[in-house]
Amino acid sequence: MTRRGLLWTGVAAAMLVIVELMPVHESHGHHWWHLLPGFDLLYGFVGCVAIILISKAIGAAWLERTETYYEDPPE
Amino acid sequence: MTALHPTLVLVATAIAVGVTRGLARQIVMVAGAVSALAAAAALGPDASWAHTVGGQSLELLRVDSLSSLFGLIFSLITVVGVIYALQVKRASEQIATLVYAAGSLGVVFAGDWLTAFVFWEVMGIASLAVIWHGGTPRTRAAGFRYLFVHIAGGSLFFAGVLLHVAETGDLALVPLTGSGSASAGSWLILLGVAVNAAIPPLHAWLTDAYPEASVTGTVFLSAYTTKTAVYVLIRAFPGSEVLVWAGVAMALYGVVYAVLENDIRRLLGYHIVSQVGYMVAGVGMGTALSLNGSAAHAFCHILYKALLLMGAGAVIQATGRRKLTELGGIWRQMRVVVVLYLVGALSISGMPLFNGFISKSMIVTAAADDGRPLVELFLTLASIGTFLHTGLKLPYFMFFGPRREVPVRPVPRNMTVAMAIGAACCFALGVLPTWLYARLPFQAVDYNPYTVDHVVTALQLLLGTGVGFWVLVTKLGSSPTISLDTDWLYRRPFAFVWGVAVTGASRGGASIQVATRQAVAALGPVAANPVLLLTRLGGRASAPARYEANAYRLPIGVTVFCVIAGFVLLVLAVW
Repeated sequence: MTRRGLLWTGVAAAMLVIVELMPVHESHGHHWWHLLPGFDLLYGFVGCVAIILISKAIGAAWLERTETYYEDPPE
Repeated sequence: MTALHPTLVLVATAIAVGVTRGLARQIVMVAGAVSALAAAAALGPDASWAHTVGGQSLELLRVDSLSSLFGLIFSLITVVGVIYALQVKRASEQIATLVYAAGSLGVVFAGDWLTAFVFWEVMGIASLAVIWHGGTPRTRAAGFRYLFVHIAGGSLFFAGVLLHVAETGDLALVPLTGSGSASAGSWLILLGVAVNAAIPPLHAWLTDAYPEASVTGTVFLSAYTTKTAVYVLIRAFPGSEVLVWAGVAMALYGVVYAVLENDIRRLLGYHIVSQVGYMVAGVGMGTALSLNGSAAHAFCHILYKALLLMGAGAVIQATGRRKLTELGGIWRQMRVVVVLYLVGALSISGMPLFNGFISKSMIVTAAADDGRPLVELFLTLASIGTFLHTGLKLPYFMFFGPRREVPVRPVPRNMTVAMAIGAACCFALGVLPTWLYARLPFQAVDYNPYTVDHVVTALQLLLGTGVGFWVLVTKLGSSPTISLDTDWLYRRPFAFVWGVAVTGASRGGASIQVATRQAVAALGPVAANPVLLLTRLGGRASAPARYEANAYRLPIGVTVFCVIAGFVLLVLAVW
């Protein structure tokens, strides 16, 4: 990502967390993580990384085959 | 009987398509689809078509808020799809799609299980015809697998209906849950519906067959079958606890496979599985908010998923390529398609101002309200995966990304128009959610998606996902592979059993025939002249091919001698 893109992302993230800390924001969370400022930002990032890494690992270990797998005769 | 059944309108349109051609056919199709939409919108709660057949009362048309909502969206998407498919020349494909749409409306407005089952099967057959119009050998094979799975699913459904009627004597399509212990009949119906709802491990027919249909066919396929199943689930199985976790598993299952998938329409197919997971989980929770959420999400999903598949179809139409590893760098040549696709992508990702946001958040909020924190977190995780794939990965590698020399043909104008209508609907619903909320079936909705909290958390989630995507974008590139799914079970082991039981048996039969023929060929000459055997054994080869009695007849003197000798011996013996 370019330096400028990084800057804007940082600004947007900071603003979103600040809004959560402002009194206009009325959290109606049921659990502790709903009250944590920036939780969804973190969850989005961690979740995204986890989805990519875990899925790729599962794929490499068990699922991925060559494109002609079903056309080729079984070994 | 004054109300007009939308199914009837579409069937009439299908017949008219068969007898017209060219521009007239295009006008007939659009007019027919719009009339069906008008008919569905005009249905009031007092409209009813009931018949008594063989002592059973069948309700062909039952209108309430739930069937109205699904009838409206099915007929709306038919209009969009028909416009998208205007350039298709083959009448048979157009007829198949119209009958398919008519079947889905038939299920939605059915008031009894038998009527629902009949239209259920009409849908199955018509959708198979739609798939087969893909026209490649792969389509043919995938279609047969689709047929195989849906025959099994339909049989389960029908067996369940028969058992249910035998137990209760009641055909009416009403909730099967909530009446104490679930009966065997209702379990079988649930299983049959689960096949069509594509609940893993019964889902592989979808991702196997949908991407093999024509670019226009896939758009129709994405709308009706799974969402009709969701309709039946909402109608008959609200609050079935098993569906909560089945839905969560679905939502995440599709996400994992979407990471690995290289085929653009199959990737979107896995996201149908994922999105229907939300609806199934909503049905399972069974609260008013979650059921309304499932209905609303089905409504919105049909619109944005059709839009996404129309975008992918436009790319395939323009480039002739369908794999991410073969696409990229074409956004300059198809800017309009890119923008319209991105509207669909933002919608499915739950971006505020687009329709996915107003419906998906209902189900997630319902999970939180219902005291199911894990369900809420997992569904949110699936939502991250959705934005990652359809919002970031697919457009990045399809339109932007590494630039490949891909020749781009212009996309037919009607395809762009259909996409624009779809995009407009996605945006309009996102901005005016009250229009949809007023039509939801279960008690008045006291839900406002546009609170600061909802909007901020949604934006945070999307931003966090976006950062994760940028960090790992190099790892995310697809590889030219396929991923094994549960269809492996009937494509490999079953293929082996089939090989032994059918191919093996037929080969065995053939070799027995060959052996018989050889035996006949070998024995034929001997049968024609048995003496041949003797002459061969004796080493003489001069016998004629056919038996001639005279050739072996003894001289008459020998006969006379034998007779006399026999007589003499007899006389001597007696004497």
